[in-house]
Formats: sequence, structure tokens, C-alpha cells
Amino acid sequence: MSYLLRFYRLGWLGWLLVMGAELAGASAAAAQTLAPPKPAPVPIRFGQPEPADFEAKNFVADSTAPAVVLCDYGVSQFSSSAGKLTINTERTTRIKILKKAGYDYATVEVPLYHREEDAETLSNLRGFTYVRGADGKITKTKLESSAAFEEKRTNNLKVRKFTLPAVQEGAVIEYSYVVRSTFFDNYQDWTFQREIPTRWSEYRTSIPQVYHYKVLYQGYGALTVNEMNTGSVSLILTNRLSEGAGAGAGMEVGTTGLTMSTEQHRWVLQNAPAFREEPYSTTPNDYLPRITFELVGYQFPNEPYKDLTDSWAQKNKVLLANEFFGQALAECKFVRPLAQALVAQHPDPAARAAAVRELIMKNVKYDGTNRYHASGSLKKSYELHRGTAADVNLLLIAALREAGLAVVPVLLSTRRHGRVSQEYPLLEQFNYVVALVELPDQKELLLDATEPLLPAGVLPTHCLNKIGHTVPASGEGRWVSLVPAQRYTHYQEVTLALDAEGNLSGQVREEHSGYANLEAREKLQQLGEKKYVAELAATHMGWEIPSFTFNQQANVGQPLGLSYELRLPAASTGTATELYIKPLETFAEQRNPFQHELRTYPVDMGMMQQEVIRVTLKVPAGYTAELPKPAALLLPDGGGRYAYSASSPTPGTVVLMSRLTLDKPVYSAQEYHALREFYRQMLAKQAEALVIKKAG
Amino acid sequence: MLLPVFASLTLLVPPAPKYPADAIAPALRENAHAVVRAFDKVVTVKSAGQLVETVHRVVTVLDEAGSDDYGREVVYYDALNRINYLHGAVYDAQGNLLHQLRPAEVHDQGLGSAGGSLMTDVRVRYADLRQPATPYTVEFDYEVTSANTLFYPDWQPQHDENVSLEGATLQVTTPTALPLRFEEQLLPAGAASPPVVAGSQTTYRWRLPAAPAVEEEPLAPALSALLPAVHLAPATFEVQGYAGSLASWQSLGQWVYELGKGRDVLPPALTAKMAQLLVTSPDPRERARKVYEFLQGSTRYVSVQLGLGGWQTSPATSVATGGYGDCKALSNYTCALLKAAGLPAYVALVGAGADHADVRTGFPSSQFNHAILCLPLAGHGTTPADTVWLECTSQTEAFGYMGSFTGNRHALLLTPEGGRLVATPRYGAQANRQQRRTDLWLDPSGGAKATVRTQRLGLAQDRYAQLLHEADPEEQKKYVSNHLRLSHFTVTSLRLAPAPGPALPGVVEVMGLELASMGTAAGRRLLLEPNVLGRLGALPNQVGARQAPLALPPAALYQDTVRLHVPTGFQVENLPAPAQFTTAYGTYSSTCTALPDGTLQYVRQLETRRPGGGTLPAAKYGEYRDFRRKISQADNAQVVLVKTDA
Repeated sequence: MSYLLRFYRLGWLGWLLVMGAELAGASAAAAQTLAPPKPAPVPIRFGQPEPADFEAKNFVADSTAPAVVLCDYGVSQFSSSAGKLTINTERTTRIKILKKAGYDYATVEVPLYHREEDAETLSNLRGFTYVRGADGKITKTKLESSAAFEEKRTNNLKVRKFTLPAVQEGAVIEYSYVVRSTFFDNYQDWTFQREIPTRWSEYRTSIPQVYHYKVLYQGYGALTVNEMNTGSVSLILTNRLSEGAGAGAGMEVGTTGLTMSTEQHRWVLQNAPAFREEPYSTTPNDYLPRITFELVGYQFPNEPYKDLTDSWAQKNKVLLANEFFGQALAECKFVRPLAQALVAQHPDPAARAAAVRELIMKNVKYDGTNRYHASGSLKKSYELHRGTAADVNLLLIAALREAGLAVVPVLLSTRRHGRVSQEYPLLEQFNYVVALVELPDQKELLLDATEPLLPAGVLPTHCLNKIGHTVPASGEGRWVSLVPAQRYTHYQEVTLALDAEGNLSGQVREEHSGYANLEAREKLQQLGEKKYVAELAATHMGWEIPSFTFNQQANVGQPLGLSYELRLPAASTGTATELYIKPLETFAEQRNPFQHELRTYPVDMGMMQQEVIRVTLKVPAGYTAELPKPAALLLPDGGGRYAYSASSPTPGTVVLMSRLTLDKPVYSAQEYHALREFYRQMLAKQAEALVIKKAG
Repeated sequence: MLLPVFASLTLLVPPAPKYPADAIAPALRENAHAVVRAFDKVVTVKSAGQLVETVHRVVTVLDEAGSDDYGREVVYYDALNRINYLHGAVYDAQGNLLHQLRPAEVHDQGLGSAGGSLMTDVRVRYADLRQPATPYTVEFDYEVTSANTLFYPDWQPQHDENVSLEGATLQVTTPTALPLRFEEQLLPAGAASPPVVAGSQTTYRWRLPAAPAVEEEPLAPALSALLPAVHLAPATFEVQGYAGSLASWQSLGQWVYELGKGRDVLPPALTAKMAQLLVTSPDPRERARKVYEFLQGSTRYVSVQLGLGGWQTSPATSVATGGYGDCKALSNYTCALLKAAGLPAYVALVGAGADHADVRTGFPSSQFNHAILCLPLAGHGTTPADTVWLECTSQTEAFGYMGSFTGNRHALLLTPEGGRLVATPRYGAQANRQQRRTDLWLDPSGGAKATVRTQRLGLAQDRYAQLLHEADPEEQKKYVSNHLRLSHFTVTSLRLAPAPGPALPGVVEVMGLELASMGTAAGRRLLLEPNVLGRLGALPNQVGARQAPLALPPAALYQDTVRLHVPTGFQVENLPAPAQFTTAYGTYSSTCTALPDGTLQYVRQLETRRPGGGTLPAAKYGEYRDFRRKISQADNAQVVLVKTDA
């Protein structure tokens, strides 16, 4: 949950909503008028654990879990607190602790955000630990207030934490609290699954139809229950003078009572297994079943409906009017002289765009924070030489414009921030902005200035999250693919000579391009040349690298090259009539990256790949080599291919070619098995020994 | 009219450049990501209960790799340490001021919770002055007033690899009546100046000259132990009204003991329950084990560190009711339980962690971060007297076991008579044992199925014990998979179970493996390396002359037996020659023989030793590397099978 990306504050221009009774009373009142269907029973009664929760036989199927969520129940509804309207979310959670490794689930942290006068507060914290003794009696230990703390983590975030007492294996813990929030534009979301199994997770909402939220569900399976109906609440509304009333704005001018209908939802997911994070994935949030809400509009009595999000056009308009986005861009005139100096120098628009990017990178360092709106004045960031992704890239956009280039901002969500839904025009799903330069020849260039190790037009790895959306000066904008044309490409050209003792020596020339270039350059930057090569030698058994040179180190636009001399002494001494060597294996990937048999969600690499190894081997005089058979492997559905060949262009010389091409940035869970098997067969082929025999 | 213009012009004259990067000597740029231009620390002892630490740190960041660590400053504080100010400035390569840190740019943040910490008052302030263009120079000034004089600041201007030092100073001023204690570590000659007495104050000064960047080397002690430092400590101190002395380990122990005094009272029912054990378990060792089991079954580690609570245990009653506490509280509570069961024990302070340096025994000072329990046991019947050490924060640790976290080091016993420095248990090669039996069924195409049973004891089981108790089967499988030195395989089954030896904890791992390309087909032949799982990785090559001493891993014993079931239609063409060698660092042997039943048996044994207490001069590195290289070579022994013509 992030409350930081909010631009509009809801103005209580006409009415302030004050709810009379608490919801129980309210729905009773509603029953009189609207007669909604009989409400579903509450799934958990605080303070009354089920006897079945203490029977070991009920947890046999959970033998691998350290703990099990028996019930997680949330009810979120509108209420009033000291005359102020709030959203109250009451959460009651009951957990069975099965093993000592599950003790951590008895410690709970609740993040509470606050910003300006809006805040979340926690109240009504209660908790118990239940343990069944040998005599069958259940002891109940209360959570004391001395076991709850509040930490002021950052300026916008407090964390309430508590730990339940007397926890032991077999115990059932239970806690309940209410979070009151005045962030109406961020209705409390709900996640149905976590890293331990969850027997029952239920979320209920009741929203007066003053507020219109879009409800978004994501998940790989269907919910057990998904119900909606209408109810009503009795409300007392305080009349206030609108802003148009001048000095009297906001003044209370009496109250009005009325009955208002509510939209009520009930969602349940039963028996969710434990969730696990896998390699080559974006963020768990992309794979967990979740309900989120987006405020799309509100309508106060006797007022027209106020639409907040009806179109991208409107979203873009809001964004462009915002002081931390559109206005911040407009206030970047100070870059004009710098940018215009580049116009004369670089008549070619693509070269000019790259030069502008260089200018920004030289002057502003990305501090690692991802945002799509500026942290403050862009001029200040420029003077500080430091800023967030938004500070850096909004400066880039402004400077590109000043350099006479057609450019639109593109909003995106980084991989760790999660997927973007194209269904609704939601701004808060984004956390990053880059520049889209429209070149005269219909070509487009995506530019980012946070990573100096990348050339212009290649986005950093964390941006490779499928799609982004443009923010044009007017109109809807459009979706832009973020799938890079550049691959992760690694090329190795190996020339080795074998002697009759089995020693290998020769030269290796390797090149990293595309995203392999970035990876190698990052490593080189961190380690320096000497350690880079030492590490290369250390990860290969028996390698000795007496000399090396790096190429194109200063030019990030060119593949990083490394040429080195290599010696590979034989495992045993003495000459042999037959030599078995595996010249390819040592240069190839040493392990199958897909170690685990099963995968439930996609393998998301973000980019395509290519790995080429060409080995030219000179065999000792008087020896001949048996050439291995060629091989060609294909992934289904054009997903990729592997080719292997061996040839002897001249007597005494063997050439081995190995070429891996992966043509998809993302492989579905269904393709996982094929991908794993493909790698296995490739590794086996690369590990094949060459038999070299003494002639005669 | 002209005068004001001139006046403002004089104001516009830029300040003189500071710390230009080209003033750095070439020798200090070599292998350096950053250069510490100045690291000046001034410590002023105000009273037994208060001191002020002022730090002036100037670092030139030479390249991007030095930026994250040296372009920022982080200052910790808590209820007993107050930050008076944190100033900063950043200069370009020429030394021109780029930016002066503004108060609004200093962030303040809580530490959050990690590793069982529920609440702490430790917070950080941090400032970020990283720049897009290198080199640049940051200058930070901060001052901290400490009301926790148990700890005096340390001074180690150079403590990372790839960072050189231009110069640094330390100055300590203390009332002569509150003498300073210090320990110098590897200081060059002339670094210390004689103390100067002025009025009632004495001032001590140290200065470090320029020093080139150093690099970490494999199997070396931590750099913090290899670089110059001055460790400071008070003779007498006072924290929150509790006065103490660091004249000796005895007096430090006395102070901590007094802090905890009277906090070992148990609820009467619990006292009675423990006393009952005196009747049911007359054997003291057995009784202690029962108490420990009770502790492990009914408590857990949760840390709350606020103010003096960082040093003073919470009362035993709070653990009894809440069922949790930190290391001090759980040790104090266990001590109370044992006492009630007629077994007097002592809480002991220790520097815990596999990488934690042992106590500098000659310099009594607070060098500890953890509490454990020491229980001297009188002889009983035929059982001789013994000392049992207990880790009270773990719900799963074996009774009496001190593994890599707390073993083989010094601990400070807290007794009514004060502190006493004693050694915790150390385990030798025979104790740290890994025994593995592998059955390998090879098929004609080179694929194989294997069953592997591995028993680990002592230090060899530490990680696996953690895996057994804290990870679920899926995580266990992942960990084991990620640590197999194999290129393609499937773990078809995995089971971990406790399997203690007679005196030490142990874990047995039973695993099924599918190895799709175990053997390599070469024409009619199948090649394979029978040492499937027992290979020891090679050491990295030494670049240049070895600088650091050689720090050897603990002595251990590895035994591997592999039974290779040859596929039908194949016969052995070549078996590797047996290998056997002994050096000061250990003994290695491997043999591969054909058994009458047609299977092959590969047996490998490696016993490593730790001559010279584990740390040897740098010159010995080459010898040790040769030993490891010989092992690597022998570990790659190859079997050649050939298709019979039938």
C-alpha cells in the first residue's frame, strides 16, 4: 500500500458525511427499509476458539507448514470518529502454531501511514493465546498492552507491533484490531494468501453509494465466494458552506438526516496453500490473490456525480496540472541554455537525444528511489546532483523538449512494483517514468537517465515489465511495449591447443552485449578488472589466466570485450594414447538454472537471450579426434532453439559451435517443463567429451 | 553607489578549494575506490557518566564502486546516545563546494524489526551526498553525546578493502581522575604521542600516516583484525546511576551481575515445579536436561531493547508469564529455573556469531553481544564432574552444545564474586564429521539414479540442524539443491532427521537423486567421476604475494563411500589410481576398486587439521593451496566404462 502517490484531496465542498450509529445499528436500520437478504454468518467469534483447532488430526495435511491461518476475517466500512468520517477496518485473525519455526507468526506488525492531516490509527487491539493442557483444559493468556509498541519508522510511517504471550507448539493465537483511515482514495485492500496455508480468508466491505470504487481482483484461481448485494445506512450529514461562499467556506450550517444505500461485498478464499517466491519472477504481489480498490468518483446528495477517473484523458490532464509532474516539467526552463547548446552540436535527433541524456546523467545521480512524480523542485534536484527516478527522468524529458525533440512521458511500473492492469486508467499502479522520443522517421526511442552503464535507448532491467502508458499533452495516450529489442547476449570465441599430456592452453575473446553488457559492466564497476578476472578464474575449476585485456570499457554503447590467455592443466600427468576432453563445458553455463521440478507461475526473464560459444581446438600432432554428432533442440511455440555442431575444417583442428537462443521474455508456467528439459539436453550436449586418439 | 556593489563582489569570491582530488598521491589511488582524506575523532569524557564524541570525516570517492559506502553517512543513536549535529558538504574534483547539506536533507529512521527483535530504541540519521561524477569529496561532521560510558568509541580509520588513508587523528581528553584505558592494535611506530596533562585534564593523541588500500584475501582473518586501530575503554563508568569499573574482567562481571541482581525470582508454582525435579531426577545432568527441555518447550526469543534494557535483564517473572525474552532474560530465567532445581549456574556473556572475533582477553571491556548459561555439574555416581553450556534462546539446540555461534571462544562468567573469563567448548576433527554413503545406479546412456545418506555431526550439522528445525520441506529441498555441485539433477526425495552422536548433535539426510547426465558418453565408452557429491572446491588463485595470515577452517572429517552399479553390457576399462597423501593440513585418501559382485566402490576420506591454532603466517598459504589443489585433482578421478561386444 502506498499513500504517497496521491494528487487530489477530496474537497468536502458541500457535505460532510457523519454516520450515526455503528454499522450493526446501521444495517438494522437498513433492514427496515430495503430488506436485504439474510447476511452470511460471521466466520470467526473472537474469544471462542474451536475445539477442533486443538486436535492434531485436523492438521495432518499441514505437516510441512510451521503454522496455519485458521481464519483471517476483515470487515471494512464507513463510520465516524469525533465528528470525522473514517473508513474502519476490523481484522480478526486466528492462527494455529504447529512448529517452533512458526513462532514468528505470533509477532505482528501493522504499518500505519499518515500524511498531512490524513492518518491511519489502530485501536481496540485484543489478543489471546490458547493452549490445551495434558488434562484437556484450555488455558487462555491475554495479550497485555505492555507487549505492544509503536515505532516511528519514517516521517510517513508508524508501525504498531505486538507479540502474543505464552506461545508454544500446538497453541492457537488470536488477535483483533481496528484500523481507522481517512484515506478515502485508498480503501483498505485484502490479500487472501500468504507464506503459510490459509484455511479461510474473508473480506467484507460496505460502502455508501456516495463513493464509487472500482474493485480489482487478481489471482490464478477463482474465489470461493464472491457476493454482492445492497443495503442501506442511516446517515446524519452536516451541511457546510462550499468554497464558493468565500470567508464562510466550510462553516457548518445545520445537519440533514437521510438514508443512503450501500454496496456490500463478501469475498472468501478457502484453503489457499502456502505461497512461495521463485527465481525469474517480478514480485509476489503479482501472483497472490488480492482485492484492491480504486476510487473512481463520488456523488453527494443533491450534487452531480464527480468523476475522478473516467478516462486516460482526464487522468493525464490531472497529472499534467500537478505540481510534481506537469508543472514541475513546465518549470524547467533553466535547462534551456544547456539543452539548446546541444541542438547545434547534434543535428541528428537521435544523437541529440543521446547527448541530452548524457547531460542529465552527468549532472544528476539516481538515488535508488522509484517514483513517477518529482520529490520537489527539479531545479533543486539538478543543483543537488541527485534525485529519484522521477526527478532524473522528468529533468530528462524537460531537457529533451528544450532541445527541440518531440517527447512524451511514459509511466511504468518496475518489476518489483508489479504488473500493470490495462483495464482501468489507474495512475497508482505506476511508480516510474521514462521518456519516449518520437524521431522523424516514425521511430521511437525509450530513454532513461538513471543508469549510466546503459547506452541511450536501452531501459534498465527493473523497467522491463511489459507495458507502460504515455502522458501526451492532451488526449488518451496509449500503451507502449517495454519488451526490449536488445537481448542478453554473450559471445565467446575460444582458441585452444591440446598437448599430448592433456594440458590445454590458448586464447579466449568474449563479448557481452545488450543486457549481458549491463551485467558485465556492473560487475566490472564493482570489482575492478583484477577481481573481475580473479572471480572468473575462481568459478572455473583449474583455470589459470596469466594475462587479460578489457575492450570498449569506456564506451557503454559497444559490447564490453574481454580477451584473456587461458591455461587448463590436465588433471593427471603423463601422456596418454586416448584423451577425453570437454572443451565446451567449461565455457558454458555450469548448472541448469531451473533446479525445481514444478512452477506455478510464469518464468519472467524480461528479455530474450543468446549465448554463443565457438571453440577451435588444435589436437596434438599424431592424434585424431572423433567428432560428436550435431544436435538441434527446439522449444515449443517458437520459444527458442539450441544448435550444436562439430567439424574439422583442417586436419588436426576441431571446431565446436554452440548457440542458444531464447526468443521469449516470458515463459508460462505450462512451458516450464519444456524449458527445463531443453536446458538439461543442452547442458548434456555441452558436457559431451571429445575423444582424441593417437593415430595408428 | 559603488560601495555596495564592491561589497557584494567580495562576497562572491569563492571559498578556497578543499581536498582537491589531484592532491592525492598516486600510491593511494592504487586499488582504491575511495580515499579517506581525514578521519579525526575527538572524544571528551565529561564525567564518569557522560562523554562527547566528535567526528570529522572527509572521503574522496574515486569511482562509482566507492559511492554507496562512502558518499553517505549513517549515524546511530538511541535513548542513551544523542546526536547533537550532523553536518555535511560535498566538493567536486577540484575541491569546489558543490553543496552544503541542509537539515531537511538529513533523514531519520527507525531500524524496524529483524531477527526476532520486537522493539528497539536504536534509530539512524543518514545523509546522502552521492554525486553523478567521480571523483568527488564528501565531508561529514557529527557529534554524539553518550550517557552510556560502558562503551567508549573505537578508532579504526581504515577498515574496508579498496580504501586508502591519507591521514587520521584521535584525541581523547578526560579528567585525570577518570583515567583512560586503551589498547593499540598494529599501530605504526610514532603513532602515539605522550599524554599531556593540563590542569585537571589529561589529553591523549594518536595519528595515523598515509596507508595504501588493502584487499581481502581468501581464508584470511577479518580486515578489522589486520588494520591499525585504537580501542578505548573507561577505567570507571556510570550508566543510568549504575557505577562500575573496567579495571578487570572481575569488575566488569561484577557490574553486570549487580544489574541483574534480584531479578531471578520465579512465581512460587514454578519454583515448586522445578523443586519437584529434585525428587524425580536425582542425576544432576538428567535434571538439567529436563529443565532445558522445559525452557525450550515453553519460551521463545523475542527481543525488546530499550535504554538500560540493552544490558539489564528483564525479571524472570516476565518470562514466566509472557513466555518470551531476549538472551539476557532467557538466560537469567533458565538460571533461576536451574537454581530452583538445585543446580547453581552462571549467566555468561559471549561475542556470538560464526565470524565474531574472539575477546581481546588482555583488555577488559564490553566486547560481548550475547548471553548464554554455564552450568558446572558435580560428579554423580560414576559420572565425573562436568561443565554444561546452554544456549537459552533456541528452542531446538541440543542440550550442552555450543556450535559455530558461541563455541571455541572466551565467555565472561557472571558470578557473585564478579566476572571470570573462561573458554567455551571446542570440537576437533573427529567431532565435526560428515559421513556419506551413495548408491549410484548408472544406465547405459549415462543417466543415473542415486540414493544418498549423509550423517553430519558437530559443526558439520549446524546449518542442517537449522534447516531441519526452521525450514519446511520445500525450503529444505531448495537449500540442498542449491548446494549440490552438480549440473543437472532432480532431488526426488529428501528427508532430514535428528541423528545425534554419543556426545554431539547430528542430522541425517536421506536423499534420492536423478542424475540425467551423470556419465558422459564418448563413442562406446561411458566416462564418469565417482566422487559424485564429495568434491571440495578449489581455492582461488593467489594474485601477487600473499599479505594476510592464513586462517584455517575448523578441523573436520569427511568420509564418502560411493557404490557404483555398472549398467549391464558395460565393463570397466579404466579405474583411477588410488591417491593418498598427508600434510600438516590434513590427510587425504581415495581408492576405487571393483568388488566381486561387479559393482565399483569408491572410498574417499579427508581429515583436515588446524595447525598453529588455526592461524598461520602468510608464507604458509602456498603450501596450503598446494594441499587443496592436490585434493581437487584427486577428487576429479575418472572411471572409464566400455560397452562389451556381446
